[in-house]
This record gives sequence, structure tokens and C-alpha cells, in this order.
Amino acid sequence: MDFDKTIKQVRKRYGVDVSVREDERSVFLSGECDKWSDVVAIGKMFVTEGKHVVNDIALKGYVAPAERLPALSDNALDGTDWDVVVIGGGISGCAVARELTKYKLRILLVEKHSDVARGASGANNGMVHAGIDLKHRCLKLKYGVAGNALYGDVCKELGVDFRRSGQYVIFDSRLIRFFAKGTVKRAVKHGIPGVRILGKKEIAQVEPRVKDFAVGALYAPSTGYVSPYQLTIAYAENAVQNGAKICLNTAVTGMDVEKGKVARICTNRGTFTARCVVNCAGVFADKIAEMAGDRYFSIHPRRGTDLMLDPKAEGVPSQTISMGPTLKSLSKFGSGSTKGGGVIRTADGNYLLGPDAVEIPDREDTSTDRQSFDSVFAKHSGVCPTLRRSDVIAYFSGVRAPTYEEDFIIERSAKVANLVHVAGIQSPGITAAPAFSKDVAEIVKDYLLSAGTQVAANERFDPVRPRPVKAKSLSDADRDELIKSDPDFGKIVCRCEEVSLGEIKRALRNPLGVTTVDGVKRRVRAGMGRCQGGFCMPLIVDIIANETGVQAEDVTKDDIGSNVAVCKIKEVGQ
Amino acid sequence: MRYDVAVIGGGPAGLAAAIRASEQGASVLLIEREAKLGGILKQCIHDGFGVVRFGEKLSGPEYADRFVKKLRQTNVQVSLLSFVTRTEKCDDGYKLTYVCKEGLKQVECGGIVLATGCRERTRNGIGIHGDRCAGVYTAGAAQNLVNILGVMPGKKVVVLGSGDIGLIMARRLTLEGAKVVGVYEAKPVASGLTRNIHQCLNDFDIPLHLSSTVTRVFGTTRLEKVEISKVDERMRPIVGTEQIVECDCLVLAVGLIPENELARDLQVPLDPKTKGAIVDQNCQTLAEGIFACGNALHVNDLVDYVSESGETAGSAVVRRGKRKLRPVSTEGKLLYVVPQRIDVNGGIDKVVMYFRASEELTNQRLVVTAGDETVFSKVYAKLLPPEMERIVVNFDTAHTLDDFTVRLEDK
Repeated sequence: MDFDKTIKQVRKRYGVDVSVREDERSVFLSGECDKWSDVVAIGKMFVTEGKHVVNDIALKGYVAPAERLPALSDNALDGTDWDVVVIGGGISGCAVARELTKYKLRILLVEKHSDVARGASGANNGMVHAGIDLKHRCLKLKYGVAGNALYGDVCKELGVDFRRSGQYVIFDSRLIRFFAKGTVKRAVKHGIPGVRILGKKEIAQVEPRVKDFAVGALYAPSTGYVSPYQLTIAYAENAVQNGAKICLNTAVTGMDVEKGKVARICTNRGTFTARCVVNCAGVFADKIAEMAGDRYFSIHPRRGTDLMLDPKAEGVPSQTISMGPTLKSLSKFGSGSTKGGGVIRTADGNYLLGPDAVEIPDREDTSTDRQSFDSVFAKHSGVCPTLRRSDVIAYFSGVRAPTYEEDFIIERSAKVANLVHVAGIQSPGITAAPAFSKDVAEIVKDYLLSAGTQVAANERFDPVRPRPVKAKSLSDADRDELIKSDPDFGKIVCRCEEVSLGEIKRALRNPLGVTTVDGVKRRVRAGMGRCQGGFCMPLIVDIIANETGVQAEDVTKDDIGSNVAVCKIKEVGQ
Repeated sequence: MRYDVAVIGGGPAGLAAAIRASEQGASVLLIEREAKLGGILKQCIHDGFGVVRFGEKLSGPEYADRFVKKLRQTNVQVSLLSFVTRTEKCDDGYKLTYVCKEGLKQVECGGIVLATGCRERTRNGIGIHGDRCAGVYTAGAAQNLVNILGVMPGKKVVVLGSGDIGLIMARRLTLEGAKVVGVYEAKPVASGLTRNIHQCLNDFDIPLHLSSTVTRVFGTTRLEKVEISKVDERMRPIVGTEQIVECDCLVLAVGLIPENELARDLQVPLDPKTKGAIVDQNCQTLAEGIFACGNALHVNDLVDYVSESGETAGSAVVRRGKRKLRPVSTEGKLLYVVPQRIDVNGGIDKVVMYFRASEELTNQRLVVTAGDETVFSKVYAKLLPPEMERIVVNFDTAHTLDDFTVRLEDK
């Protein structure tokens, strides 16, 4: 392809000379820029039908921080041999591992953090998208719509709360409402059920807070809400139940490729072999591809910040609502790189405001800042003018892992025979995972069969992960009975979320062996309430120490090294 | 089961309320979440408690123990490790549902005393940004780690907030061998009691930095450093004044918020200024039969006053009658006044009122009026928002028991 015109445009717009090289799969860019947002914008200008962009344009003066690796080194996995190794314990990796356990295979999933769902899977708003804003003919649409349809069943099997309560996109002008008819038509064509336009009266009834400015709304009833980290954990636990091994604190540091295949995988816990490797490494998916000598796409980290609202604040709406395009914003419609967002009522009954989308050079920078807080509040509070900044009780960021093409990559590597890429998984990744994980499992199976590995059905596969007990949501009689069977369920440790000692003890006996403060928090919500662990954190440290037989000062918040305390008292100088 | 009174919370306010209600002849159930009575006093091993009430400087556990001993001499039924999950109105009072190690229980009671204390403002509550590493704790959590669990939250500590809790934690961590790099305070004046500035900071050479706050925290696993910024007169960080301070622990003593989840469930109206319930002089909320006291009502400086309001609630919950409530309006630079209502049914005698100034003021006169009459007046050379003031107003002389106003004016 001839990129001369684009190169000229780049020079004109950004004052930068880029070099372009092409092969049959990708366009490779190199050069240097002063601004990271320019690096990303230029990368997007070279997106071409049928090709991927590998963007090596450097940010002047920027030294990428070293990848954060687990502070652990042992030989736990050295010399082992696996049928399938899945790299990455996000929603993709955990769902793929679980789908693979339907076959009699030796499966290993490695995750560099101390728990699963530590990347974008643990830091998003948990919306299970209807798919109303997705483009035609992309994998996001295919798997997004298929995944959404699977959600009820998957969450039932895996014992995870799921609520299909729909979403409302509010219009403030009749013209926009008229245009929305096109969205409805497209939804019908894409097989998205029940999408329709509500009139002024109807939307005012559903959500009185918008009645002053709403002339109508687009209603998508199939939009649902799940706790994304609890679903990821459930997938991981079910995988382990069915025979997969999940090895945490394990980072892939290199791969040996021989005769067009990954021969060995090197980690901080030893070197091992695998017949097939699945790359589900999220923001590091391109780095993993590069380790295997198969670099043909780039991930550009895009951070999103969500603000959590006090569910009892007076200004909070009752439904998930977001602002549709306004006449003012219509000129830039389509330029946004997030799937809308707005005020979202989560699966846990909390409310989130957000997210935003900020391109950042550091893949692991999940810090929050004032600019993002301000822009999220400014952008999304418009749909609910009664919201006040003081209604925000917490905030967090996650880093999405988009490719320049802004679509999923779910395919066998064209270069490395035993490598499968599951990359570029960003919104609606949570929605799509139940669907694409099944296809990935088939891709792996077909490859293994073709390579001469026997793949039999796992007759002992049990799709059901027992639903964790949540004492608070039981009826009085059931709760009484539970406490009588185990008094620990009558002892409340986290007062804000009403979590009992019994629930925490059970969470600590999870199949993944996660015994961190945040691990408990993700599993049972202890510490997620209004006091943010002020009261229960020390209690949980004590419970973890007692249950696992370690000293209190050895208990960590999350990853290795994140000890809550530094030493015993009287031992500071030692 | 039915009790005349259920007291929720076994800290200083609840203990005082339960003892007093029982002494008045009521059957009382005291419900406490933890395994021991005393509330937050249990972890406050420093001294200074009880100066007003006992004329002694007691430690937190000692202060609590005096009430626990007294409680043992009463017929108060104590239910420990018990957590109220639901409160409902019933025909003749209220129905409480709680869980404890025996199961889920329900009791009925004529009146409820809410003595649920307060919670601490968190890093999110004051807009600190940055990484989510270990080492950032509220002062109460840090105090629990040191005094109960016996572990150190850090070796090189920054304390944000110069209220008494922050000062006491600065001293406590220093005594255990940590280096407290400094105490930072966003306000232009220190918030804590003067005696604590001396005893906790000056005596240990801990620097106090005013008009400064923590704006960002850094650290991948544990805290490595914080960013300190100067703030303007409206306490907004000034861009360009950022300074990095290395530390492995940040202790946040940035304010307390009355805990009122049960009051909300019962739809008891709250005062946005105190964040506690709106009450009359007997600590009765606007919901008949529901009383609030201690730090659940408004945040107190001294435990002695917490006990006092507990006693007020404890005696009033037993002998309550029909009320005729009149509002107390405020004028001038007052942050809040408690009580917000006065019950004038059957006349009133002495009323204990608490107030805080909304800013640092000198040469002020506080005037309480009923109708056109001044019933109380007191001059203050200096008033500070962190210092709660207590007055006793005698309404004996008042001709009209209406139009109550508390006014702060220049002398």
C-alpha cells in the first residue's frame, strides 16, 4: 500500500517524520514524538483494512518503567510439561482455561499477580453490553452479542450475581431522537433483542431525574451487570475444580521458539514445556507475541477511571443512564473510544460514574489523578444534574488493552504453530468472554488434534461452581440456620458490607490459595463499604494470620511485598 | 423478648446510656458488635481521658472499665458479638433484628438509643490520588495495628491531620521506634488540643507543617513517597508547590463522621451540619422513642461529653412523654449547635448545648434568646472550630418558650 499521503498528513499535522515498513500482516511505524497522544493518534492514521499496526514511534525522553515482576524466584514449575499453557489470569485467560477443562488436558494458567482479575478485568464497571454501539463486521460485535446472550446461564453455573436491568441512553433533542431510529434498525440487524426508543413521558417515568431535559431515550433491555472480578474468580475456581492448575505470582520472562513452535516457556518459577500456548496477557499481549517472535500488532494502554458513588446519596439515579450524543457533541460523534459509560448501577447495587479514556505510555499505571476525576465527573454527571462531587466515595483506574484496529484478535498465530492469540480484549471484553472462550478452546483442541495429541472429553467436568454463601442476603430463617450450623456466620467483621467471619474464612479457603487482604475484599466485599476498611482491615489481617498460620506482619494487601505492616512493635531497629 | 430500652453500641456513650436507663428502673438490652465493651477506647492506650468527669487522667481502657464495672452492678442485659441488621417500627415501639453466635434474634423494645459512634474519613474522602499501595491507613486502623495487633504500619511515617488523633498517633509511632517525618495540616492552625501539640509533637521534635496537604501517593507494592502541596486559604492545593517526601506509611487523621446507618434505615432526619440526627435537649430524635448520643450524634473532642450525652439519652428514654418541639435557629459564624430542637412541653429547666464556631474567631459573645429575651450570654476571647464548646442554658426566666436562637456576635 502507498502510505505517502498519510506520511505527509502526519508531517503537516504533528510535525513528525515517520518511517513506514510493511509485511503481509502489518504496517510497522517508527519515529519520535513529543507527545504520547500524538504517538497514538499517528498509529491510528495507519489503520488499514486487513492489516495490523505495529507502532514503534518513541516518545521523546520517555524511558518506559521496567515491567513489574513478582518478587519471587523458585523452581516450582521447572521441568514440568503441559498440554496447554494459558498466559494471563484476566477474564480471557480464566474463561479459556475453564472452557479447556471440558477436555482431558493438562492445563496450566500463569498469572504474574497474586490473584486473578488484577488488570482491566478487575477495574471496569461490569457492564454486560447489549452491543448497540458496535460496528458491523467486527469480532467485538460477534462475540459481544453472543456473549451477552450466554450471560444468564454462565453466571448461574458459576454462582455469580448477574442482573439484566437494561440501560437508557438519554436524548436532549428531537433531532438526535430521530437519528436514533438508525441505531434501532442496526440493533435488529445485529440480533440485539428489544432495543426501542422511549418517548419523553416514558423516560420521565423510568427516571424522573432527567425529565427536565430528556425528550426521549434509547432503551436496551439486554444490557446487564456483573461483578467482573467475581466472574473472573469464578471462572478460575471452576477451572481448578475441573483439574487445571493456576500458578499465581508467575511471570513469563521469555520463550524459546524452535522449528516454528514455542518449545519452552521461561518464568520466575522455572522453565517448562507446553504443546500449545494461549496468549491472554492483556496489556502485555504484544510483548508476549514478541517473545515468541510473532510481533504483528501493538497494544496502546488506555486508562479509564470510574468514580464510585454513595448509593444512599440523594442525587443518585435509580437506573443505568447515560447521555446520548447531543447536537453540540455530534460533530465529534464516533471519536470517543469508550463504550459510552454514564451512571451505572453495578451488580452489587452500587453506582459508578465513568469511565473516561486516557492514552498512557505506561501499561501498568493504574494510578488515579485529579484531571481524570474532574473530567469523568464533568462528562458523566451531565445526565444526572442532581449529583454532587461529595457523593463520590471512592475511585479507581484500570488500563484497557486495545490494538490500533480497536478490535479483538482471536486466532492462531500465522508464524508460530502452537501459539494462539487472545489479544486486544477491551470493552466489551467482559461481555464477550463467555462466547470467545468457547471458540478459543476449539481452536486449541483442533490444533492439538492436528499435532497428534489425543483430546478426549473430560467426563468429570462439572460446570457448576458452588455459589459462595452470602449471609446478608439470606432469609431470616436461613440465616439463623446457617449461624446455628456455624456460629462464625453470626460474627460480623465488616460492618459496612455486613460480612461475617464465616464468609471470610471460607473465602480464605478458596481453590486459588489467595490469602491477601484485597483477595478477601474481592471475594466477599469486606472493606469495600463506606469506611473503606478503616475498621475491618486490622481484623482481617488478624484473621488471615490465624487461618493461614503466618505472622500478622507477613500478611500482604495484595502482591508479594505489599505487607500491611513492616515488622512487630519493638523490632523497628532490627 | 421485650425490653423497655435497647441501646445499640457498647462504647462510652452506650455504656453511660444503658447504666442510666437501668438505674431509672428500665429493662435494658445493650447490643455490642465486638467481643468486649468499650468501643474505640479499647485501643486508646494513651492518657487524658476523664479529666472533666473524674478529675483524673485515665487511659482509654481505664475510662471504659469504670463504666463496665458500674454496668455489672445493674441488670442490663449485654449481648456481645451482636450486630443489628434491621430495625423496624412495630405497634408499641420497635423491633430489632440482630445476629450473634447463637443465631438470628429478634427483640422488641419501647425505645432505642443509638450509640453507634463514628467512622474515619478515608483517603478517597479527601481526594488523595495516586497508586493503591499498602501503607496508607486511617489513624484508627494504624492505632489498631500497633496497640492491638502489635505490628508497625511503617518505619518512616507522614501524618496528615493535626487533630488529636493524628497527634497521638505521631507520638505513639515515635515511641515504638518509627521516625515521624512530619505532621501536615491543611488548615492554617493546628486542630488538636494545645496540650497535645506540646506533649505529642514538641516533646518529640516532630515538625508540624501548616497549610499543607498530601496530594498524591506513590508506591508499587508498599508506599514509597508522598507528594505534599501547599494549600490556599480555601484549602485547595497550589500548583507548583509540590514537594516529595519519602516515607513508607501515611497516617490519615482527617476527620470523623457520625455513623448513622441505623438512623437512616429508621428514616430519622439527620442534620447535614453534624451528620448526626436532629435531636431535642434530651437527645431524642425527630422519631418518637429513638435517641442518639455520643459521637453518633456529633463528633466530640472529649469522651467526658460523650458519656454525658449518653446519660442524657439514657434517662430520657425511660421517662419520655408527649413532646412539643421548637426549633433552635442559629445566627453568626456557627458551624453547628446541638440540640437543634427544644421540647417545651411541661416547661424546661436547664439545657446543655454544644456548639462549634465555623472559623477561628476572637472576642465573641454567644447569646441564646427565647423570643425577645436573652436567656444566656457568654464572652469568648477565642473560638476555634476544632474545639467544641459546652454551655448550660437556664430557661427559668424565659417568658416565651419559643423562637429560640443561638447567635454568635462580635463583642
